[in-house]
Amino acid sequence: MKVKPSRLRDNISRPLEMSIQAEIDNIDSKLFRESAFNEDEAERIGYSNYSYWRSTFRAFSRKKIPVALLFVLVILLVFTFIQPFLPGQYAATKINNHPITGLQLSNVKPMLTTVKAAAPSGTVLSVTRSKNVPEGWLAVSNIIGSVPRRTAFTVTEYLDDWVRIEYGGAVGYVINDFSTKLKLADDPSAVPYEATSNFNVNFFIEPMDFTNNGIELFVKASDASVADDGASCVLNSQTNLYLIPSDSPFLFGTNNIGQDLWALVWSGTRTSLFIGFMVAVIEAVIGMIIGMLWGYVRRLDRILTEIYNVLDNIPTTIVLILIAYILKPGIGTLIFAMSLTSWVGMARFIRNQIIIIRDRDYNLASRCLGTSLPRQILRNLLPYLVSVIMLQMALAIPGAIGSEVFITYIGLGLPVSVPSLGNLINAGRKLLSTSQSYQLVFPTVVLSIVTISCYMIGNAFADAADPKNHR
Amino acid sequence: MLKYIIKRILAALVTLTIIVSVVFILVRQMPIEGYFDNFEKLDQSVINAKLVQMGLTRPIHIQLINFFGKLFRGDLGTSARYSVGVSIGQLIAAKAPVSILFGLVSMVLSMLLGIPLGLEMARSQTKLSTAFATKFFDWFGTIFIVFVNAVPSAVYHIFIQEYGSRALNTSMLFSRGNWVTWVLPVVSMSLGGVAYYAMWLRRYMVDELNRDYVSLARAKGVTSKNIMKSHVFRNAFVPMIQYIPGAILFTVVGSIYVESLYSIPGMGGLLVDVIKKQDNPMVQILVMIYSCIGVVGLLLGDLMMAVIDPRITFVKKEGAR
Repeated sequence: MKVKPSRLRDNISRPLEMSIQAEIDNIDSKLFRESAFNEDEAERIGYSNYSYWRSTFRAFSRKKIPVALLFVLVILLVFTFIQPFLPGQYAATKINNHPITGLQLSNVKPMLTTVKAAAPSGTVLSVTRSKNVPEGWLAVSNIIGSVPRRTAFTVTEYLDDWVRIEYGGAVGYVINDFSTKLKLADDPSAVPYEATSNFNVNFFIEPMDFTNNGIELFVKASDASVADDGASCVLNSQTNLYLIPSDSPFLFGTNNIGQDLWALVWSGTRTSLFIGFMVAVIEAVIGMIIGMLWGYVRRLDRILTEIYNVLDNIPTTIVLILIAYILKPGIGTLIFAMSLTSWVGMARFIRNQIIIIRDRDYNLASRCLGTSLPRQILRNLLPYLVSVIMLQMALAIPGAIGSEVFITYIGLGLPVSVPSLGNLINAGRKLLSTSQSYQLVFPTVVLSIVTISCYMIGNAFADAADPKNHR
Repeated sequence: MLKYIIKRILAALVTLTIIVSVVFILVRQMPIEGYFDNFEKLDQSVINAKLVQMGLTRPIHIQLINFFGKLFRGDLGTSARYSVGVSIGQLIAAKAPVSILFGLVSMVLSMLLGIPLGLEMARSQTKLSTAFATKFFDWFGTIFIVFVNAVPSAVYHIFIQEYGSRALNTSMLFSRGNWVTWVLPVVSMSLGGVAYYAMWLRRYMVDELNRDYVSLARAKGVTSKNIMKSHVFRNAFVPMIQYIPGAILFTVVGSIYVESLYSIPGMGGLLVDVIKKQDNPMVQILVMIYSCIGVVGLLLGDLMMAVIDPRITFVKKEGAR
């Protein structure tokens, strides 16, 4: 091998050339072998092993917060779908009543367990019989009777927060606190004496309250031995007393008509996410089809531009209100109203991109090399469009959920029989300053997690899907 | 230029006509209950007589032509259920000033807060220092923008109303004489605007910062402050100008949700009220007004862009397609 002699051989280049030549001469010639001229090889075109989706994935996984949110969102999504099949769930629309009183279990506070108290072994309880009590449960209380208001009874023992009384031949214990307001003697421990109350007072078998403010509790039938007359029972062992004849608690409490808020929230999330996904998918599909036609078919350009000008001018909120006002309320109506004009932005973007990219040099080169049209669209055009399609779809979901809440507020949303986040938030809105504010807080928290996750994941994915950000 | 403006205005008029016609035809598909105050108590013959009197039994295109004729004479019709027999023009005229006042105040507030926030966020991109104050604005702004954009406004307005009125120790509803009750609705209405201006200003400014003319200015020794002020900000603000007329018009008609939430006697609250009362003629007119405002806002924005940005020319470029 020889270095080609330079034409500008001067004093500076000469020594350099010499040193390079020396270096080349030192190279072990066994490391190289000569190859014959090959016409096919000369025509071969190089390519990079760049993979669009792998690069996108790598760029996305570099961002910690969106990845974490994606994780949260996936778990939440999976959970919304499997929740109805988990054991011990209430139906979302079921109105839960108390079996004995027959009243709705309304505004029950969130709870982790249905156990109200535990009673020691051998406790005697009276059993209330009712056909509404489910099989395997007993409705019990340790109340044996009550004294009508303003009726005298005899106090026989004073135990500070309880007093033992005799009334009509029966002996029992009465709670002594603000809830009974007993009118005791000046020296309450100087028994016996007569006392009264302005309320009906219940008296209990022992100085223990095994009721829920005077309403029956429940025990599992297997834990108690019922007496022959069926009116009382004795506990076999240390036993839990339940608020309702069920092991499943109302984790998020109940609403004002006694529906389980936990089931309602997940059912509502399903409805709202369904609306969001449908709107996003319809928007993407219609937007892509119209956008492609608009970009490729020249004859359609003028008419589609005019249609765009009209549709883009109308505020989406107004379209939503008008359609929801005219059609019957329902999920289909909302999806239709929301996707009626939302595809317009997507279609315009795709049209612009197609017009730009169609005539870019790389696409021209690709066409000259005989790439088929489907492959051109898939490989040359789509990577530029994916970022915006994904962003638009991700933003459509929080947008649709927000619109649903708004349209429910103005009274055009889903009927109350269909749980949705909009319905729940609208119902909870008036309760924010009351002790039932949990009825607003739970749906709001779930909704915020969904919308913020969608928004941030969408933005992060759009960044990652942009080939400009692939390093 | 003049040709462009005339063409643009004509196009807007065509759009307006189409929108008004479509809304008119759609609302005509509603049940006729929406045209009567006490439909259930009326005799069938009375209903028929009234329908004929209102011209609702005629073919739809005749109705449409009559409607346009009335519109040109400035007659918007009368309310059917909301406040029976009162002309809609009068009702709107009573409500509009409140909305305009609220809209303008919240518009000014959102620009006053949003533009400095966007500026500060863009500036923190250029600084290498990790000083707390610099990073604070970027973080605060990002979180604020994500929050406002991602959480549905229908939800956070409720919380602002509840906790805001408790903090200010004032009533949850609006009352005209008490200025404290103005604060919360204005804040609620401007939050979206603040996030909007901050987000776009930051994005446009960051885009501009990477341009060659900024490097040139820096190479010439222009101070960072001056580059921001007289080069970057001016160029970044141009695309935002397009949306200002639309934003003004929209805030003027009032935020539908906020006005209704605070019982502000404006047009947004009026729309919600008439929808709840199912007053067809009023829903129709209000929806038309809102849609037309969108068209007019976009028209004004385009015209303003044409006047302000010298780079926009009206010579048709030959496409390379």
